[in-house]
Amino acid sequence: MALKRINKELKDLDRDPPSSCSAGPLGDDLFHWQATILGPEDSPYQGGVYFLAIHFPTDYPFKPPKINFTTKIYHPNINSNGSICLDILKDQWSPALTISKVLLSICSLLTDPNPDDPLVPEIAHIYKTDLRRYTDSAKEWNRKYAMS
Amino acid sequence: MSDDEFMLYDSDEACGFSDDDEAALALEDDGGNSSGTARRSQAPQTQGEYSADVGLGYDDGDDYMDGGEFEPVLGARGQRKPWEVDFKVYGPAGLSAKQRAMVERLEPLLALPQETTTLLLRCYFWKEEPLLEGLLTDREGTLAKAGLTEHPPAPRIESGDDGFVCEICYCDGPDESFLALWCGHRFCSDCYRTYLAGKVQEGESWRIRCAAPKCRTLVGLEPARLLLADDADMLARYEENLTRSFVNDLATFAWCPAPNCEYAVECQVPRSAWATTIPTVQCQCGKAFCFGCKLDDHMPAPCSLVERWMQKCRDDSETSNWIKANTKECIKCKSTIEKNGGCNHMTCRECRHEFCWVCMGPWSEHGQSFYSCNRFDEDSSKNARDSVSKSRAMLERYLHYFTRYNNHEQSARLARKLLTATEKNMEQIQREHTLSWIEVQFLSGAVDVLSMCRATLKWSYVLGYYMVSDNQKIIFENNQSDLEMATEQLNELVENPISEDGPSIEEFKRIVIDKTTYVKTRWETILADIVAGLQENRWQFETE
Repeated sequence: MALKRINKELKDLDRDPPSSCSAGPLGDDLFHWQATILGPEDSPYQGGVYFLAIHFPTDYPFKPPKINFTTKIYHPNINSNGSICLDILKDQWSPALTISKVLLSICSLLTDPNPDDPLVPEIAHIYKTDLRRYTDSAKEWNRKYAMS
Repeated sequence: MSDDEFMLYDSDEACGFSDDDEAALALEDDGGNSSGTARRSQAPQTQGEYSADVGLGYDDGDDYMDGGEFEPVLGARGQRKPWEVDFKVYGPAGLSAKQRAMVERLEPLLALPQETTTLLLRCYFWKEEPLLEGLLTDREGTLAKAGLTEHPPAPRIESGDDGFVCEICYCDGPDESFLALWCGHRFCSDCYRTYLAGKVQEGESWRIRCAAPKCRTLVGLEPARLLLADDADMLARYEENLTRSFVNDLATFAWCPAPNCEYAVECQVPRSAWATTIPTVQCQCGKAFCFGCKLDDHMPAPCSLVERWMQKCRDDSETSNWIKANTKECIKCKSTIEKNGGCNHMTCRECRHEFCWVCMGPWSEHGQSFYSCNRFDEDSSKNARDSVSKSRAMLERYLHYFTRYNNHEQSARLARKLLTATEKNMEQIQREHTLSWIEVQFLSGAVDVLSMCRATLKWSYVLGYYMVSDNQKIIFENNQSDLEMATEQLNELVENPISEDGPSIEEFKRIVIDKTTYVKTRWETILADIVAGLQENRWQFETE
């Protein structure tokens, strides 16, 4: 079931790739993917290329995939391990969601951080009180880690 | 706290050691229920009203009227004791009856199908008022927020059509069967089943929503039953989760913490009152526990003190015992020193202070009498010891209370053994003196009183440890020592019941019964006083 569904998602991604992201298996193991997200244009992450590791559980899609940033990013909802705090990856997961939809959600999380439910409280605090400083730091990290 | 803050039930039988109860229990025991006394031995609390199936565990569901509780078997003679709180014990069938009663009460008001009413109540944690308020102000909105609709169509598993694609497994076409809730999201029945089973395994039940992203529609009981119809185990688990959530969602309900116990207890003492009222309840299985912290019965110490005490014991007891037994403190720098050999001339490794291990005085004053310290009473030695003893006083104080707490705990454990021994003794007395079974019950009655006094004494030391020394504490400690002395005397009596040159059996029986009654009076006095003190805010407790 999981494999059939993963294959189908892969085909759909090939046929109709989303505009700012891509994803696919790294090697022969279809349960391990790598995804890339281009920093959204209206965000401080613009111009950066972010890599993510995707791990499908065996009972996918009834359990959510595990998705981590492997590129460092300065963001209130993404911590230094690359863990993402996103409701649809946790209790709001639905088996009818796909990797493509999840990646798009992550893109919009980059544009619109959610400082009220932060994973990194320090960054959330700066985001709320000093937007300028947040933008500067995010841009700097973007330059340093996501552009090569 | 006044009584009217609790939900008062018809009546409760107070702790059962009066003659009436003896007779009632004895009759019951005559019927072959040998565990009656054992169970009662830890029963200083209210015997609550038990739901009808208690102890039997079968669920026929039809015997329940008015919520499914029996009228109390014993008369309403006894008033509730000051330290007792009202509670009810529910078995599995009693719980579903209680749920049904709550739903049925609201049903005519809401004019909604029974299942919708039940789910709404669950969404509102079974609180009627906010639910009614929400429904009256915004019926549609309240239902939608909960993920419900007024009259959901009966769930059906249908055959797919040409346009059908399952968004989960991507199967499609007319060969597939699917289910859609009233929100219209269609998924093939296999996927829906797997989805549901996964959630059930995670402990979910009624909170399971439609599988579509962000859709709030609750799956509900009927669709779940339809989908899981072929998987009896999973369905049973689903139903079990439903019952569990009923107890977990209600603040006034708690599961009995005993292993494998299926009963739940309802207690109306609000969380805010736990500092002044100790909500001790007893499950039908015999387990007495605190409704507040769910720990074993800790009457008469309030939850907050118990928590602090347990923490302290975990941190301190073993280490401090060893320190006390094996070390002394340097008078100057307070370093803890263990003497592991050598003479009495000590030199502190930290501050180089030289002193005598025996008298703790400075070594410089010892002159030539190096190896036999006879200076114990001289001033400088005395002062040195004073300063040490001050810093040790705290530890000593803690150990004073801990030792007694611990002693009573151990004695309580021994009391359980004593009970077994007593039962043998009772048989022996029966044989030797040709007495009837009822006539030797005074012994087990005494052991019952003993173990409940032990429990009370144990926790009273926790209370004493945190109590600020004032006149009130002196009264408390007098009560405590009265009870302690009487308890020890009774213990001694019961332990060696028959001797050749002792009193006759009639005389012995009279002595034991007298003592038991006296001990019980002391027990009631101290409990009543402590509880009254808590409620009047008479006791001052040290804060950390």
